[in-house]
Amino acid sequence: MINSARQQRLIDEAKALLKQGKVRWIIGFEAGSLKFTTTPLITADAGDTSRLVINSFIVNNLSNFLPELEGRIGIVAKGCDSRSIVSLIQDSKVRREDVVILAVPCSGLIDLAKVEQLIGKDRDEIDAISRKDDKVIVTLAGAKREFSISEALYDNCLACELPTPQEYDILLGEPILPSNEPAAGQKKLDELKKMSPEARWQFWKKELERCIRCYACRNACPACYCQRCFVEETEPQWLLPIPHWQDNLMFQITMDIHVAGRCTDCGECQRACPVNIPLRSLTKEMYDIVADLFHFKAGMDKEALPLMTHYEQEEAEDLIG
Amino acid sequence: MEQREDWEPKIVGFLCKWCSYAGADLAGTSRRKYPANIGIIKVPCSGRVDPLFILKALRLGFDGVLVSGCHPGECHYLTGNYRARRKFAITKKFLEYLGVDPRRLQGSWVSASEGDKFAHVVTEMTKQLKEIGANRLFADDK
Repeated sequence: MINSARQQRLIDEAKALLKQGKVRWIIGFEAGSLKFTTTPLITADAGDTSRLVINSFIVNNLSNFLPELEGRIGIVAKGCDSRSIVSLIQDSKVRREDVVILAVPCSGLIDLAKVEQLIGKDRDEIDAISRKDDKVIVTLAGAKREFSISEALYDNCLACELPTPQEYDILLGEPILPSNEPAAGQKKLDELKKMSPEARWQFWKKELERCIRCYACRNACPACYCQRCFVEETEPQWLLPIPHWQDNLMFQITMDIHVAGRCTDCGECQRACPVNIPLRSLTKEMYDIVADLFHFKAGMDKEALPLMTHYEQEEAEDLIG
Repeated sequence: MEQREDWEPKIVGFLCKWCSYAGADLAGTSRRKYPANIGIIKVPCSGRVDPLFILKALRLGFDGVLVSGCHPGECHYLTGNYRARRKFAITKKFLEYLGVDPRRLQGSWVSASEGDKFAHVVTEMTKQLKEIGANRLFADDK
């Protein structure tokens, strides 16, 4: 996905947008302080745009910043991010005319944790990671090693349904069709579903025991935007603010219910988690339930009404006696 | 933990004021017998039932939760029960995925004239919960 021509075009477009006063802010990615990583770049200064990058590590879903900034915003968006933006527009959190979407067709992001595990070395020891068609090439001490995308990409990227944004103002590069491996992206969920209900509950209990309730998952999620979150309510107090696994689990379940129909499977919650709880195995299941019961996929159709504001006369009847 | 022989399941019932609550009332006034295992909370509409209510009830150790409202198309507020159904459906499916027995969370449509149906729903649910046993989902010792 590294394509310097495309990166140069992004820099030029972003610079022009700021200079012509068409946008007040540009939100994109710049190189991070750690090797291979990127970090969000939010700027109103045209001079800063030369720091913008596009590569296989632009993981963050930048649409999270949209409701926080005032004025017209130019934003770099991958397929999943564009779905989040559409979802925010549907929810009237953002106005379409206030956003200039700089669309980046994305063939999947490389999961550094997976790469580290594959080669058994820390990322600092890796010289380069590059992408060629459906292979990920890792250069280590001069030697090249090839891995398939199903080994080295994020699970949610393997299950990606929209690599090229549908909704955009400027398209950077050629559109890409989904050429992923949904089965590989679904592996962890399938494993869980094979377990007995008791074992599944124990699995989640064990995972959520690690949760420190930092709310990084909530804060990283563009779909989770309440001004006042139910966890901070004291009257009634739905759950305690201390990290008991019971309260942690209740928090996660409720968060997943709250973002049902808005979650675009961008994977930000799981990436944000400092204790590596497999949160995507929760959110993706909710995504699938919503798709299965109501044929609804967040951010795919600009004209669609938000999930919980409409209904069909006949649906989910077998669940209620 | 061993289950005591005289253990009885506890059910929280969220009943809509216009249909199911009146249905429960009818079951009472027409002297229909149904298990006393259910504690009823009157809600203005089944659409009022926040999935948090359901979770909180399970968290507090209730063995089952019943959400009941007007039949589709008969909501006093026209669309409340359709909206309730969406929320209820995703909650039920999601809890099932997490490992909660789906019989712990049940939904029913009971109109104000269906006292018999209400009695039947509660009897059935109590029977099923007795089979599943006590709710130890959020217990610490497991």
